[in-house]
Amino acid sequence: MPQDNKLYQELLKQRDEISRQKKEIIESLEYACLIQTALLPQSSSIHKTLHDSFIFYLPKDIVSGDFYWIYERKESVLFAAVDCTGHGVPGALMSILGITSLNEIVNNLDSIKANRILNQLREKIMKSLHQTGQGGESKDGMDISLCIFNRKTKELQYSGANNSLYYIRRDILHEIKPDKMPIGVSGIEEKSFRNNVVKMKKGDVLYIFTDGFPDQFGGPKEKKFKYKPFKNLLLEIHNKNMKEQREILLSTFHAWKRDFEQVDDILIIGVRIN
Amino acid sequence: MKLIGFRIQNFRSIIDTGCTYLSPDNITGLIGQNESGKTSILEAINSFFTGTISEDILRSDLSLPCVHCVFEIIKVDVEKELNEKRLPDGVIDEIKKKETIILKRSWGEDITSRIELAGDKVFEIYRGFYDKREKEEKNIKERIEEAISEHDNAIRKSDKAVSEKEEKHHELEAAKEKLTQLQKKYKSRKNGKNENTIKDNITGAKKHLEECRNIYVAAGKNAEILASEARQLSENANLAGESIQAEKNFLINKKELEESYKELQKCQRIFDMSYDEKERRASRTQLDSSNETYVRVLRDYEQSKEDAIQKKIIAFKVLSGDSIYEVKNEIKKEKPYIDKYYSLEEAGRKLFNYVPEFIFFEDFLSLLPDRIDLHDIHTENTNIEGYKAAKNFLLVSGLNEDFFQQTNNRILKHKIEKLNKEITINFQDYWRQSIGKHNKIKINFELEHYDNSNPDKSGLPYIEFWIKDREERLYPKQRSRGVRWFLSFYLELQAAALSKNGSNIVILIDEPGVSLHARAQEDVLKVFDNIKERVQIIYTTHSPHLIDLNKLYRLLAVQRAVDEDESSETKVFDTKSLTTASTDTLSPIYSLMGIRLSEQKFIQKKNNIILEDIATFYYMKALTDMKGFEKQVFYLPATGVSNIRSLVNMLLGWGIDFLVLTGTNKEGNDLKHDLTKHLFANNEAEANKKLIQFDHFKSIEDMFSTIDFKKYILHKRIGIPESNLEYIVNNNLSRSILASNFMREVKDSKLKWGNLDEETRDNFSHLFDELSRSLE
Repeated sequence: MPQDNKLYQELLKQRDEISRQKKEIIESLEYACLIQTALLPQSSSIHKTLHDSFIFYLPKDIVSGDFYWIYERKESVLFAAVDCTGHGVPGALMSILGITSLNEIVNNLDSIKANRILNQLREKIMKSLHQTGQGGESKDGMDISLCIFNRKTKELQYSGANNSLYYIRRDILHEIKPDKMPIGVSGIEEKSFRNNVVKMKKGDVLYIFTDGFPDQFGGPKEKKFKYKPFKNLLLEIHNKNMKEQREILLSTFHAWKRDFEQVDDILIIGVRIN
Repeated sequence: MKLIGFRIQNFRSIIDTGCTYLSPDNITGLIGQNESGKTSILEAINSFFTGTISEDILRSDLSLPCVHCVFEIIKVDVEKELNEKRLPDGVIDEIKKKETIILKRSWGEDITSRIELAGDKVFEIYRGFYDKREKEEKNIKERIEEAISEHDNAIRKSDKAVSEKEEKHHELEAAKEKLTQLQKKYKSRKNGKNENTIKDNITGAKKHLEECRNIYVAAGKNAEILASEARQLSENANLAGESIQAEKNFLINKKELEESYKELQKCQRIFDMSYDEKERRASRTQLDSSNETYVRVLRDYEQSKEDAIQKKIIAFKVLSGDSIYEVKNEIKKEKPYIDKYYSLEEAGRKLFNYVPEFIFFEDFLSLLPDRIDLHDIHTENTNIEGYKAAKNFLLVSGLNEDFFQQTNNRILKHKIEKLNKEITINFQDYWRQSIGKHNKIKINFELEHYDNSNPDKSGLPYIEFWIKDREERLYPKQRSRGVRWFLSFYLELQAAALSKNGSNIVILIDEPGVSLHARAQEDVLKVFDNIKERVQIIYTTHSPHLIDLNKLYRLLAVQRAVDEDESSETKVFDTKSLTTASTDTLSPIYSLMGIRLSEQKFIQKKNNIILEDIATFYYMKALTDMKGFEKQVFYLPATGVSNIRSLVNMLLGWGIDFLVLTGTNKEGNDLKHDLTKHLFANNEAEANKKLIQFDHFKSIEDMFSTIDFKKYILHKRIGIPESNLEYIVNNNLSRSILASNFMREVKDSKLKWGNLDEETRDNFSHLFDELSRSLE
């Protein structure tokens, strides 16, 4: 029928248009990914700063809401694993705000204290997003584990917003719990983050991470991986070299996930103290 | 709207105060010596509101007075209020951005005044707007004049063509005549003599005649064309001419209106100044007559203005090619003679409706008298002592003329008794709330009539006031000045609240403390504090008892440019520049500090710490208490780092030991460098013991963590990435007020050392440790 033929032609036209748009979007995101990658620390500089370490970074989409951040200042190394609200494009936009804010704070800081960096970061995010704690405004922000390791004194400062720090010493996993508040506005009035200080020892391995790995659905019962198995996994692998640890984490993740969709961006940083 | 600042120019001894801001907490005190110009400032602000000034206000240099008042926009939607016409683009945006408006009242040589919207940016926008409009007007005017000139040229050309045509006609006639003559000559020739010559001449003449005829016909056609052109242009020229004439009529009417207005103002002044009823009656007739003339002239003026604008627009549009019919129809619909834009004056007048009520409270008129004639009240004889207070009394009691017409004496007495009770209860309540004490005085008024001992007034009614307590019944003037002042002030407040229907009030009070004893003066301050949420107060004083040492930011210092020269101009210094005021001007503050010094052991032989300003003083005092600092310290606030040098010298002179505490900023560093060099002969170790700085902090506010700063000082949840001091400066906040409120919270025990976070505690602990090492 000539009419059907017309409809068919229209459908083909729409299909082509959608394909064209999709191609454009993917190209645009790939370019955004290049920019985001350029803002993240280069792998060469990571190994120069954190000699024996790995970073397991697996974004859910082309661009990511998780990011890692490393900064060196005199004898101290500052590093963080950060999870911005959302993933994909919105998460990536927040991550750029987070990276630039962190750089700005440490450049102007007189004394280095992990909790003060988080306090200041929260001020910057609140100001940037015009958050005042009143109803009806954006509750966007980020969860973070921030560490400052002094190579000379082997002292580690940790401050966390909703994300913990694990360190394994003599086959025992120790957890330092975070403050239960985000970087950004929340239901309760802002108070200072706690500054946790631990004297690290040679051979200790520490891990900071976002919630992507433990929250991934999969396995035989199609449930979340959860934190206890995650701790056990780290305990199992912590004695292996860092590269191997990263590979095991990756293979374990895929084995667990199987055909399920990746739920969130994934970021795990592991550092061995030498 | 809330009054937040003023600028006074050419008002008595004042040449230009510059833009001066009032205290943000609604109480502003003007301190200064007698004749410094304090009262002139109050009068100028009051004149801004009333629009009236007396001739003695004018300066001898003939510069005319002008008062700007700055208002913060509160509860007024300026865009909505100014919706009848338009404002030039950008004015509303500017007002919204600044959240303030500036109104200016200026007076002319005839002391008539005008109020207008002001402000540099607003003025600039209006100037651009008027320049554009002026160009358009000029364009129209040029086009109209051009039409007349075109028509004149066309007439001239047409006239010239007609003359040329006439000339050609004469030439044609002459050629005809010449041919006739030759033909006659030919006919009368004899014996064929010269025949050939004549024939040749006739042929030549015929040819010439033909030529002349052709020229004449051409000239005729040219004249017709030019006449037709002139006719066509005459229609445009008529319109242009009508427009020019209408403009001339308008200018004549405008001049007449100005003269008529001046006359009306003059009559009004004479009427206002008439002393008694007789004068008042005489001047009333004159005032009515000039008012009638003014109304008539105003009508003519409005009519001629409308006519001139209409005709100008018709002329311009028709000259630009529109059809006259369409243009007239358009004008009927759009009424172009109504200006669609507010002038600065119109906008100013409109916004003036929303400014607070200004009340001038002064002793002579505002203090309750012993008695007042009803006749003086009814005829509004404002020159009578206590007139305003008596009028307020009647207003607050709800009494009008009809009340006193009551013929039944018993009913009248009963009503008066009831009112006396009511007003007494209300006043006692006010006294208790404002001053925090009880009093048992009763206020009474009675209606009496003059007897024969006053033959001039015999039989006429008057009101007598009494203030009674348990023991005695006295006239107001027999009571203490304090009671009389508070009662009158109470009446003023109540009357203002009634007449202004709840909107803002600004009370200007000249020397409220004069002749009151010290405690009563302190009670006056209590009353001010009690009413400051609903009433703004600006008062003059040279009494230390009317100054709160904890609130020096409330003060403006007023003094002559040249000390003790009453002919020199008046200068105003705000809190930030108090240090530049003279010692005499600041004497009330010094007296107060002196009093406190002796009473509170403000300063001791040892352990005195000089601080850079009052804000630092409040914080240090509060934190010393919170921390439970083990050493006894005495803080001495300077009024700025630059003033520390003189305090240091003073203490050195008295042989008193001290430390100096400043921020780590340029001024603090310079001071430290200077004192190290001059006091400690460059011995840095010694100097470091005595000259202490806030570690790496520019000011004491920066020693608070941002979290504590927001929570306990700002009381706001907002992201502050900058330093606390930068936030205060960027947001134009008062450091002193924030610090004073913080100290109050600490005093009220709402805030403890443990409430502060670790960062703040670290910073201050470090400072106190350092102080502790340096103190004995």
